[in-house]
Amino acid sequence: MKARLALAVALAVSGASVPAYAHHSFAAEFDINKPVRLMGKVTRIEWTNPHTYFYIDVADASGKITDWAIEGPSPGALSRRAWQKRDLKVGDTVVVEGYRARNGENTANGRRVTLPDGRRLYGGSPGDGGPGDDGTDQGNLPATGANK
Amino acid sequence: MLFLQHFCEMLYQSSFGTMLRESNYAFSVIESVHVLSITLLVGTIAVLDLRMLGLILRPISVSSLARSVLPLSWSGFAVSVASGFLLFWAEAAKMYVNPGFRTKMVLLVLAGFNALVFHTTIYRRAQEWERQHISPLRARVTALASLALWGGVIIAGRAIAYF
Amino acid sequence: MSLYSWFMALARSPLGHAMQTSRWGFAVVEMVHLLGLALLGGSVLIVDLRLLGVILKGESAITLGRDASRLLMGSLTVMVLSGIALLSEESGKCYYSPAFRWKMALLAAAVVFYFTLHRQALLRVQSGKPTFWPRIAAVVSLLLWLSVGVAGRAIGLL
Repeated sequence: MKARLALAVALAVSGASVPAYAHHSFAAEFDINKPVRLMGKVTRIEWTNPHTYFYIDVADASGKITDWAIEGPSPGALSRRAWQKRDLKVGDTVVVEGYRARNGENTANGRRVTLPDGRRLYGGSPGDGGPGDDGTDQGNLPATGANK
Repeated sequence: MLFLQHFCEMLYQSSFGTMLRESNYAFSVIESVHVLSITLLVGTIAVLDLRMLGLILRPISVSSLARSVLPLSWSGFAVSVASGFLLFWAEAAKMYVNPGFRTKMVLLVLAGFNALVFHTTIYRRAQEWERQHISPLRARVTALASLALWGGVIIAGRAIAYF
Repeated sequence: MSLYSWFMALARSPLGHAMQTSRWGFAVVEMVHLLGLALLGGSVLIVDLRLLGVILKGESAITLGRDASRLLMGSLTVMVLSGIALLSEESGKCYYSPAFRWKMALLAAAVVFYFTLHRQALLRVQSGKPTFWPRIAAVVSLLLWLSVGVAGRAIGLL
């Protein structure tokens, strides 16, 4: 019983301690000069306020797996971008395009996520200056190069 | 200690806590109420503190101002605590280990203690000094401590997001 | 210079650069913004609740208004200056944000109202009981300032 409790608390605490960086200001947290494009398998989803997170296992050329944390806005903000909790499933292979955290950790913001069925979800903000940012809430890529 | 941990974990895992934490609107609304309630709670206390420091509203006696202002502060406190408890419920396990949250709770207790000491000592004899434009030293010390502690509560509260 | 280019100029300014590259800048400035909010709210509540006849009934509304005005203007200045710094960190996002635009419009309305009809209401009330229109002015003032706060919250939540 004690061991189970300890494990439960440890899990909660480890889940809580992963995002150890400044929040609520894109520029202070993520580096606009470090764009990333990651393909990986979803291992864990935290659909929580004030920020959502999901984690993907990214394999490099040699097959080494790295765990990446992908941060997004609140569930409410994502729902207004037509992105619901059920859109992401553990085990799905997704493509994440965003910017790497300034502190160099394996963390990125989920500015755009492509699901296995080809649907693209937008987790950015109009005016955030990312690729294809046109001030609308779709942050659409220009006609060429979209939907790779 | 372990009981507190267990309690936080239990709140976090509860269906209500989870619902709040994953909500599309509820958490955001409750958090907004909590943030805006600082005007009703800290803002009104600050007015009283600034009066005792002789910086504003000198023609008004301290007691008269306190009688008007403190019910507002208490209302603000009720709203802050209610909304704060719900936010805590949603994030309890994370809050348990969060230095910002722990600091905030300590400062909150100290702010309450400061007010308690004031009300049971120097304020008891308010009629002797309530009309003075600048209140006695002990009242001014309380006022400064109050401003610092409540300011600290706000700052620590904001810092929660950064851990 | 268009509105958009002004926002972009702010982002490229030394202030914008400092806010965008600083690890803790945004956090600290935001804390100052919140402290200002508490003081601003406190002063608005004191004056408008007097105008409504809820508190400090025997006191002169003008004296109260004058003193609270210093606190209000001071805290508002702190909020505007810290607000500009916050804006410089994410001016593109704010330019397109409906919440930000609403906040600025409501802020302008609140300030204009404060210096015009609200001031008149304080003069009308003097030391007596408030009549109908001063009460309306108090309610409008409270609602305007409250909505500035709500819109401000919405910036980060939309």
